[in-house]
Amino acid sequence: MNSIIKLEILEKTFKKKDFSILNDFKLEVEPGERLSIIGESGVGKTSLLNIIGLLDTQYQGCYKLFDSSVKDLSRNKLAKWRNQKIGFVLQESALINSLTIEDNIKLPLMYANRKKDITIQDRFKRIVNKIGIEPILKKKPLDCSGGQRARAVFARAVIMNPQIILSDEPTASLDLENREKIINLLFDMNKEFNTTVITVTHDLDLANRHERIITLKRNE
Amino acid sequence: MRILRFFITRIFLKRWILVLGMIILLFLANYVSFSTARSIISTFQGYQELETLNQEGTFVANLDPNSEADFDKIEIDETQKVYEYLNNNYTYALQANGFVTSLENKHNMDVAFNYINEEAYKINQFRLSHGNHINFNYKFNKEKIPILVGAGLAKTYPVGSNIEITDPVTQQLVNLNVQGVLEENAHRSNFYAPNSKTYFNFSIFIPVNEEFINSAGLDLHVNGLMDIVLLDSTKDETMNLKEYIQENLGLAFNFFNQQENFNYFENYYVNSLKIICTITFILLIIIVCLATWNTLISIRLMIKDFTINLLVGLSYSKLRAIFYGYFGILFSIILAVLFGITAFNRYSFWLRKGSTFATYGIFGLISLDWLALLIVLFIDFIIGFTIVELTIRKIKSIPISVGVLQ
Repeated sequence: MNSIIKLEILEKTFKKKDFSILNDFKLEVEPGERLSIIGESGVGKTSLLNIIGLLDTQYQGCYKLFDSSVKDLSRNKLAKWRNQKIGFVLQESALINSLTIEDNIKLPLMYANRKKDITIQDRFKRIVNKIGIEPILKKKPLDCSGGQRARAVFARAVIMNPQIILSDEPTASLDLENREKIINLLFDMNKEFNTTVITVTHDLDLANRHERIITLKRNE
Repeated sequence: MRILRFFITRIFLKRWILVLGMIILLFLANYVSFSTARSIISTFQGYQELETLNQEGTFVANLDPNSEADFDKIEIDETQKVYEYLNNNYTYALQANGFVTSLENKHNMDVAFNYINEEAYKINQFRLSHGNHINFNYKFNKEKIPILVGAGLAKTYPVGSNIEITDPVTQQLVNLNVQGVLEENAHRSNFYAPNSKTYFNFSIFIPVNEEFINSAGLDLHVNGLMDIVLLDSTKDETMNLKEYIQENLGLAFNFFNQQENFNYFENYYVNSLKIICTITFILLIIIVCLATWNTLISIRLMIKDFTINLLVGLSYSKLRAIFYGYFGILFSIILAVLFGITAFNRYSFWLRKGSTFATYGIFGLISLDWLALLIVLFIDFIIGFTIVELTIRKIKSIPISVGVLQ
């Protein structure tokens, strides 16, 4: 099967901090794969997620996403792909507090210019139903529980039906019940739509529930 | 547009205090620029007008500010003697403005009578919208006096109409005949304050000849002397006149020649303008720094919101467009307020019946107001560009990272 992610990083340096991470790092990911990235703090897990998620293009190396070289893509194209092909499942705090939960979830639709698209509206209803956040749609994030916020972040990540979901510590700060809900939602997406799931976590139990685990180590 | 509206209503206005702070700062920048621009343009216009006097042999009278003048002691016989002396020995331009009188008109404005002799009339080169220029060879009290009226009086007193009125300086019943109508906003700048102007929209210009001067009262005689201009004269001749006036009226006059006028303008006005421009420039720099600081604080407070938007599809070019749109709206609001204040300011002269300041123009604004607004618009472009580009640079310097949201 063709890999959708082909990444070869020679080095990722931080000028101000004068050190480098991810030296000679290679990664290939296939469609529908469930991959977890673990490692101690500071080894570059979040940096790797930023690179995969097209947020960071400042590194030495080569990255092909859907067979296109990322370094050849314009900033507008990168933004478009972040909008349509990649979903970010982050911690429950990653919501705009001045917007309602519904507006937060529908934020990607504004950039895709599809707010009035009926298929998207249907999808929005199905997702909201499935994850059980209908009652809080008109509420502001600060009026909701941590679990409800985490589910809202998840709903925003999947509203555009992305091909890749990148999740960064998605269950941190959640209780057991909500933790399970989020993990199940992630894997349901994977099964239902063959969505590639890449999870950065410290949680070994969560990591073990993925098909493949990559452990990042500090540069010698 | 949709994204811009979203950012303004859902992101920026949620921190309304920062928006208000920004509006106040930008308004200050606009107001300072506008006032300075208007002052410079007005001074420059005034200087251009007065430059016609800066000819060799031309001397402008100026009452010595250090002299102790006692106007109560001046008698009409003495002023008559001075004018006889003037008529016999000099070519002079006389113009006395602002003898306000009541004369019925459509706008119920007080009307200013302005007295002008032939030489002053030639210097002023008034432009007419209707009718003909006035002549100065009429027989006072035997013929109708040909006059010019300001644009504001043209409907009530069109060309050819007659006005019978007690003249404020001769105190005699005179019959005036309208010969021509001045163009809208005809004006004259003050000799010693070129940025200060008298508008003639509600004025009547009465030609003054020797006969008229002989019949006029003390008011015209003394006022006429204050700004009298000697033409084709020499320094010695001005000294003779200075002594003659001092001897007869007890008034100490100076007569400034071309170079002295120019030096006065250079030393006083150009330097003043330089100081005003420097202060304005420094103020603008301070305001722009404060406005940029305000924006950077806003970014720090909104970085999570920006990052989330960048994660879900916002690009830097869209963000730049959003900031330009946002500042465009802020500047439009501020310019509209500035425009409103200026229009009200102009309109207030009409409300207060200030006939020598009432002007005509679109929304009451005259050409120098529009020009100053245009300059402010240009300055706004520079300020907007500076703030937006600095802001985008700052945002770009903060890497978008999912780490910001943890």
